[in-house]
Amino acid sequence: MMHSRAPDNAVIMPGMTDAVVDVRELRKTFSVTEREEGLAATLRSFVKRHRKDVNAVAGITFRIEPGEVVGFLGPNGAGKTTTLKMLSGLLHPSAGEASVLGYVPWRRENAYLGRMTLLMGNRTQLVWDIPAADSFRVLQEIYRIPEGQFRSTVNELTELLELQELVHKPVRNLSLGERMKVEFAAGLIHSPSVAFLDEPTIGLDISMQVRIRRFVAEYNRRSGATILLTSHYMDDVVALCKRVIVIHRGTLLYDGPLADLAERMAPYKVITATLHDGAASSTDLDAYGTVVSREEGRVTLRVDRQLAPERTARLVNDLGSRLADISVEDPPIEEVIDRVFTSEQTTVSA
Amino acid sequence: MVRYVRLLWIFLRTEMQYELEYRTNLALDIMQSLVIMGTSVGAVFVLFSYTTVLNGWDLEGMLVLLGCFYLVQGFSEFVLAPSFEKFMEHVRLGTLDFALLKPASAQFLVTLRQFRVTELTQFVLGALIVVVALSRMSVVSVYQGVGFVAALLCGFALVYALLLALSTFAFWFVRVDNLMAIYWSFLDAGRFPVDIYPGWLRLTLSTAVPIGIAVTVPAQAISGKLEPLGLGLLIVGTVTAFALSAWFWRLGLRSYTGASA
Amino acid sequence: MIRTYRALFVAQIQAAAQYRVQSILWMLFSVMRPVIFLAAWVAVANAQGGQIGAYDTRDFAGYYVALALVTNLVFSWNAYDFEFEIRMGRLSPKLLRPLHPIHYAVVENLVWKMTTMIPLLLILGVVIVTFDARFRTTPMHLLLFVPSVLLAAALSFLGGWFLATTAFWTTRVHAVSTLWDRAVFIFAGQIAPLALLPGILKTISLALPFGYMLGVPTEILRGGVDVPTALALIGGQAFWVVVFYIAFVRLWRVGVRQYSAVGA
Repeated sequence: MMHSRAPDNAVIMPGMTDAVVDVRELRKTFSVTEREEGLAATLRSFVKRHRKDVNAVAGITFRIEPGEVVGFLGPNGAGKTTTLKMLSGLLHPSAGEASVLGYVPWRRENAYLGRMTLLMGNRTQLVWDIPAADSFRVLQEIYRIPEGQFRSTVNELTELLELQELVHKPVRNLSLGERMKVEFAAGLIHSPSVAFLDEPTIGLDISMQVRIRRFVAEYNRRSGATILLTSHYMDDVVALCKRVIVIHRGTLLYDGPLADLAERMAPYKVITATLHDGAASSTDLDAYGTVVSREEGRVTLRVDRQLAPERTARLVNDLGSRLADISVEDPPIEEVIDRVFTSEQTTVSA
Repeated sequence: MVRYVRLLWIFLRTEMQYELEYRTNLALDIMQSLVIMGTSVGAVFVLFSYTTVLNGWDLEGMLVLLGCFYLVQGFSEFVLAPSFEKFMEHVRLGTLDFALLKPASAQFLVTLRQFRVTELTQFVLGALIVVVALSRMSVVSVYQGVGFVAALLCGFALVYALLLALSTFAFWFVRVDNLMAIYWSFLDAGRFPVDIYPGWLRLTLSTAVPIGIAVTVPAQAISGKLEPLGLGLLIVGTVTAFALSAWFWRLGLRSYTGASA
Repeated sequence: MIRTYRALFVAQIQAAAQYRVQSILWMLFSVMRPVIFLAAWVAVANAQGGQIGAYDTRDFAGYYVALALVTNLVFSWNAYDFEFEIRMGRLSPKLLRPLHPIHYAVVENLVWKMTTMIPLLLILGVVIVTFDARFRTTPMHLLLFVPSVLLAAALSFLGGWFLATTAFWTTRVHAVSTLWDRAVFIFAGQIAPLALLPGILKTISLALPFGYMLGVPTEILRGGVDVPTALALIGGQAFWVVVFYIAFVRLWRVGVRQYSAVGA
């Protein structure tokens, strides 16, 4: 059975709690050379380089408790992958502190590395030409997993991810989705207590995405491992994460329950009214709210959250039999996130 | 230490399982090695059809040197070159991160990871050439034998240090195939004793690209031409080179992970 | 055709600009070999009082410098590239265009030679000075060198393509091309000037095409053979070019047919 191993010889940090991930004012600044195109600019840059400091991560603070599944949201270049790299130990921060499982990640102590895992979508750690099962054996040796535990972990992962047919084929012969499943197994074979997943479902078809999500949820349930996940696909986050951390331009914009995010960032409801006959185009519904779109027989309105119940009641009343259907919903989560990114707000945790 | 030996064994075993599946490929590769080495031996015979001695080396001595060349090149092709090629690919594809996050020395996981079992042929045949050539020479003393093994191990370590240093550049330049091309060019020069080359080449082959030393000194040792001082210098030089390149590697790794210098 | 070639040239020169450094480093590699063997022969000559046959140490230097230059002018690498193109599926689109794929290779080859010529001459200059090379070239030799090196380049190119065509049937072309390369190594004048090859090897080198690829133009450039012999050797080169041309065209036709039959 899979189990998270209890900390032993953990490094004590000042003010440490039993949070699994403890991040304080973490900062990462890159210095990039800028150069315009063209021959003249190239020659000039030979002599004088223009350097610009880019704040990839501009001082973020958060804590994650054991067993949580937290989603990192942010547009490209927001700093999510950089944060993940610092927490996994691949990158030294420019300033700030972090501890994962009580270790300072970028020291890359073997004790830490044996208890964490980083999975990157689209990149594989498996050896291309040999069956995954052989790669597993190599990993067993590297992580020094006892035979009994190895076998039971492999069996459980094979069952959960439906790998029976796949592990004995050379990895290069697998489809992208199959490869991702095997990649997951390889990443979890040493039963880590913390898993960092960077865009795990990228490039996969819908049904495979669903399967992977189910697996991650089940894995978290069975093992109690803490999971940090970054993704572009809202469905990943919605399906798996009760809590989201929104990062934009290196700063933390929001840290709290996903449900509250909508309420906070997009305090409106979307009312869709479907009308009989072609009355949609002519009927003036401005009095009820901001008209967002009109299509054949359907009008979509945006209404302030507080006012939504009252406006809905009035619409039903006033339109009477002309109304074929009406729905009142939260704005789509993509829209919410979009508003978060395009607004210059800097709200912090819930 | 034991653990790393076990890891080496499992890396090698996995690769063997893979390569042995492709029997035709294996057979062809072995045949190719035979052809290449056979023609190289032939070239030596052509040279010696006109003389019995070349810069102080007789035919048997030259054959021993050629054998040492294939021992060193074989070792390089067996594990070092494939590993470093794989490393450069990892840097390019961004999959190096996986190696850095394993609970084992990154240097070990990178430099001794990938084997090419077919290249064992070169190594074995090189040893064969040395043995055959030695049997035609006078009796070999214990001192010569020990000196030979020591010098050969130093040769391996020198080549390792050189390739480690070259590959470390990948941390900054990503594509270092060009540097490897330089390595191949100079490696070829190892087939002849380093003392036949003009000054600048001889110097390069003894210092910056120590292929010449790696091959010539073991051959000298077994032919009884090596002074203890020479061997001592070689050992000291090897340890220094090894330490320097390991330090350079750590520097590259720190740069890659953004640790302040 | 001229316009096509011009277009191909322009495109290839732009592409080659990216690979500048790489090309030069590969050229360095191909210069090393002659220098290595030169050093060996100089050592042999010194052991024998400075002269082996018709060659003293300065003649050896002249020979190997000429060989390096000729090798660069003649060299082609098709078999490897072609097999790669087939495996990557890059050949099919070329077959669909009204231009034989070989023309791309010709242009690529020529541009590479142009790119590497100047650095090569600089390096050879250093070698000439280091070894005090002697050339016995006369204007007539230079005149004869032109057709000789062109024929040698054509021969090497066609021979390589003849081999490369076998990639239509097998994925193990590299085994065959290794045999070919090693034959070139022995018989084309790399390990020793043709005149110094032991009896049977010398016979083979002139009976088979290999000697005509490198050794012959080298000796003509160096002035190591007299004019009548040079003319006879050029005749031999022409003969082999014709043979390989016919063989290549035939084999290619059969190959493409069976390639399309199987499913390009």
